[in-house]
Amino acid sequence: MTTIIETKNLCKTFKDSAQEVHAVENVSLNIAEGEFTAIVGPSGSGKTTLLNLIGGLDNATSGKIVIDGQDISMLSEKQMTEFRLRNIGFIFQAYNLIPVLTAKENVSFVMDLQGRKKSETNARTRELLEAVGLSDRMDSRPAKLSGGQQQRVAVARALASKPKFILADEPNANLDSKSAQHLLEMMEKLNEQEKITFIFSTHDPRIMAKAKRIITLEDGKIVSDEYK
Amino acid sequence: MIINLAWKNIWRNKTRSFVIIGAIALGLFSGTYLSALMTGWVMDTVNADIKINLSHVQIHDSTFLQNSDIGAFFNKTAVEQQFASSNINGKMTCRLKLNGMLASANNAVGVTAKGIFKDTEMTVSDIATQIPDSFGVFLPDDARMPVVISEKTAEKLKVRLKSKIVFTFSDIHGNMQSLAFRVSGIFHTSNGLFDEANVFVRYNDIFPVTGLPDEAVHEAAVLLPDIETCALDFPKIKDLYPQLKVQDWKELNPMLSMSLQWTNLMSVIIISIFLFALTFGIINTMLMAVLERTRELGMLGAIGMSKRKIFSMIMLETVFLTFVGSIIGIILAVALLLPSLQNGLDLTPLIGNDFEDFGGFSSIVYPILNVEMILEIIGLVILAGILSAIYPARKALKLKALDAIRV
Repeated sequence: MTTIIETKNLCKTFKDSAQEVHAVENVSLNIAEGEFTAIVGPSGSGKTTLLNLIGGLDNATSGKIVIDGQDISMLSEKQMTEFRLRNIGFIFQAYNLIPVLTAKENVSFVMDLQGRKKSETNARTRELLEAVGLSDRMDSRPAKLSGGQQQRVAVARALASKPKFILADEPNANLDSKSAQHLLEMMEKLNEQEKITFIFSTHDPRIMAKAKRIITLEDGKIVSDEYK
Repeated sequence: MIINLAWKNIWRNKTRSFVIIGAIALGLFSGTYLSALMTGWVMDTVNADIKINLSHVQIHDSTFLQNSDIGAFFNKTAVEQQFASSNINGKMTCRLKLNGMLASANNAVGVTAKGIFKDTEMTVSDIATQIPDSFGVFLPDDARMPVVISEKTAEKLKVRLKSKIVFTFSDIHGNMQSLAFRVSGIFHTSNGLFDEANVFVRYNDIFPVTGLPDEAVHEAAVLLPDIETCALDFPKIKDLYPQLKVQDWKELNPMLSMSLQWTNLMSVIIISIFLFALTFGIINTMLMAVLERTRELGMLGAIGMSKRKIFSMIMLETVFLTFVGSIIGIILAVALLLPSLQNGLDLTPLIGNDFEDFGGFSSIVYPILNVEMILEIIGLVILAGILSAIYPARKALKLKALDAIRV
């Protein structure tokens, strides 16, 4: 399998007047295409910080992140935004859909930003919403959808840009167990059938049970990295 | 998509958007309505004074304006021929102007008698149309020694139609001359001062006793198609008569010209105050709109929306708000102004007729809707909107995707 994410001695230190906090410390890892990986660990262990660094939302204090052969620490803010648009899909804990747009418009928004053709955008939007089981709610706004449905729209949006991988930060945290289970099965299916790479930051034992690789962090350091 | 999103975003908080749209609409409506009313009021006055009293251009002997000396005359035919030989598109009439006393059996008043040529006078002046029905006619050809006086003069002299009055003046030799006239018409204009000061007689009735040489006149009045043409043609007319004093309506009545400039200035001041207040309203609204969407703007940055696009989106939201408000304001103003464009707006219950006595300001106002002015106001409002959106939009630009998502 091709490596799409490579981190080398990645460090992120937060400083305040009293002390330095090493949120991520010397993390070196490789993630290959098609992986279904969970980054786990107790609160404050550095899971979300690591995810933000990989997603280019935060800058590392030191170390290197190479995505698909591109060292992203060399990119300017503007280039990084464009890089995220083309290469990374995000699923947030709080769904973060655009409330004034319908499910269909939320999904097609990213493709519009990419400047894709209208016909291609429409076809892919329909295809993705069908894949996440929301073909009958395409014209509903987020407020009219349940939490589970909103998160499925968020998954479709993350997939819309045809990213190299998807980062999901506690995607089940705000969902009831049934919705969470349904969402997880859907993402697992996408991973198995379409070889889409998922990287989760999670506490959820259900995700850990389904994940094919579990990276455990404690105090910003990798304490275990297991393939199932 | 950004246009679609910006449009939808302004309806996210309908109450807030309606309040700011309402404020813009109300401000624009007030500005447009007041401006149309004030411009109409002053332009009515300017046009009425031009059509009845001033004309666009007047020509006199250079000493006539200092003391209205009967001897400060010029030759009618020479002046008319020079005008006719020019390519200026306008009408000219000539007048004698004699200061004297007009007396009835009851009273006497000081007036200027204008000795006119009826045919040409009626092409230049609207005075003949200022005689209401049943108040006689303007110097009928078959009448003997007719005079047209104003309603105010008639009241002072306590005379009516066909009453006999005597005009006494000093001829070129300093001898007192008296002529008896019969009132053939009584006029009323919106300019009380003009009404009190002027009476009209036929040139041929009064000329023989003046002692002036043949074809002597004191004044030539020129009416051009409009004031814009006047601005262009006035220098040419001035060049035609280097030996005479040639003045346009602005020089003849500087107060009127000043009123017009003052009105334009007032319109600018009113609209500027409105725009200044509007700017704060928009800054406040858009700042709230940005701050309450911090997380969402962060998410947009995270999924790859560039800062330029986020900035454009906020600016577009402001433009939409101001544009919608502007259109509503203009529609309101036009809807309320339309009925009064034809029939005028009667302000008599509010201001009475006092302004007529003050110098020609009619109590009935015909508002003027100037499309250019409306477009300028809309443009200024949108510009104010754009300028006031810059601060909130910059605020949105400073948000870091990660920090914003954490909120």
